[in-house]
Amino acid sequence: MIGYVTGRSPLHRAHPYTTLALAGAVLLAAFAMTEPRTVWLLVLAAAALAAVGGVLRSSVRTALLLSLPIWALLFVLYALLGADPRVAFGPLSLSSPGIARALVLGGRVTAIVLSFLTALATTSPHRLVEAMTARGVPFGRTFLLASTLTILPRMRERAAQILEAQQCRGLRLGGSVLARLRALGPLALPLILGALAEVDEQVLALDVRGAAAGARRTAVDPPPDSQIQRALRWSLLLLVTAAYAWKFWSMRG
Amino acid sequence: MTPRVSLVGVTFTYPGADRAALAGVTLDIGAGEIVVVAGAAGAGASTLLLVATGLAPRLVGGTLAGQRAIGARRCGIVFARPWTQLTGLCSTVRDEVAFGPASYGLPRETVLAAAERAMQRLGIAHLAARDPAHLSGGELQRVVVASALALEPDLLALDDPAAELDPEAADALYAMLPQLGRAGTAILIATPDLGRATAVATRAVQLEQGRIVRDGSPAEVEA
Repeated sequence: MIGYVTGRSPLHRAHPYTTLALAGAVLLAAFAMTEPRTVWLLVLAAAALAAVGGVLRSSVRTALLLSLPIWALLFVLYALLGADPRVAFGPLSLSSPGIARALVLGGRVTAIVLSFLTALATTSPHRLVEAMTARGVPFGRTFLLASTLTILPRMRERAAQILEAQQCRGLRLGGSVLARLRALGPLALPLILGALAEVDEQVLALDVRGAAAGARRTAVDPPPDSQIQRALRWSLLLLVTAAYAWKFWSMRG
Repeated sequence: MTPRVSLVGVTFTYPGADRAALAGVTLDIGAGEIVVVAGAAGAGASTLLLVATGLAPRLVGGTLAGQRAIGARRCGIVFARPWTQLTGLCSTVRDEVAFGPASYGLPRETVLAAAERAMQRLGIAHLAARDPAHLSGGELQRVVVASALALEPDLLALDDPAAELDPEAADALYAMLPQLGRAGTAILIATPDLGRATAVATRAVQLEQGRIVRDGSPAEVEA
């Protein structure tokens, strides 16, 4: 599941910038950490964030699904084909430094994907737009960002409608892989063409409603911010900066 | 009084098209006029709306020849399919309707008052807190019309506006138009639903292959 899920968790109620700052901090911190132990602590932190947002199960499941191909690739590249010394793992002989490297890289990917899935699931695009509008961000940028956040759920909804319509007209989805691939055509074509036609009309409708007026938009329903949340965001920035300073200091040492 | 829109010998061709969608159209629409544009599919009625509101060729592309003067301070347009006209960014009907006035940077209270007025006018004030994504087609179309009206346009173009409405809602939509006209809004309606449109229109034009072949009272054109 990728996209916003309604809820009343602390992350849902937080200012959108705070949720995004948390996800951004995980992203930056992941690259500052070089030890498997610290990277996996970060994965746990990302999981804790998902738990706070009430989206632990769905986010972990999707994160694992998305990370799995990367994990498989890392296993082959580093653990199987990595440098000596090697350790026996059942019938396999695995590279000891390769395993450590794969755990670091895989952990980074998992932490980043998990934290951003959590941010997506708990940040209402509408609240994000209002928060950005209140800060004077031009509409073009807010629209681009919010459209990116909402495109997957919208496409999924539309695909389900098209699928239903095509099934009513005799489309069969079962059978061999080839038959399933053939069924993709009647689904993908109306999905893409319909989306393009709708974008055309939406552009016209938004234009007459002043989207390109150039004035600073009024935030009608700006999400409340607080001193505590602002302090948290600054603290995250300081923590990430400290993590990088520590990393470079350790490398020099 | 300056017409809301004035077209003199206007010819418009879509990008890549070998035939003009509008050919030599001359039309003045004054304040308070309700003009219904009749014509078979492909006659150019929807194109006339895009040209009159200034959207073509500015956003649509293509070429425009002839003279066009848009006297309207603000134009509104409503298309047949309501779901394509939503911002996709608003979680309540109130915010969706308020989007237009908010775009012009008006004070928050003015924006909310304009949205409230438009919702009252369309009879959708009870939907204010609902998510637009969960409304029926008919309710959604009324939200779209309210969104256009929230900007208090001088020229309102309606492209088959009742296509998604049930008969009762369609009647209510058309019944509201004379009141808008009396307030000075010029209204241009392209629709195959001539029965309802001509009942409220003050004038009708008939298009055939992009040319105006009749321009007169609704009764004349309907005959």
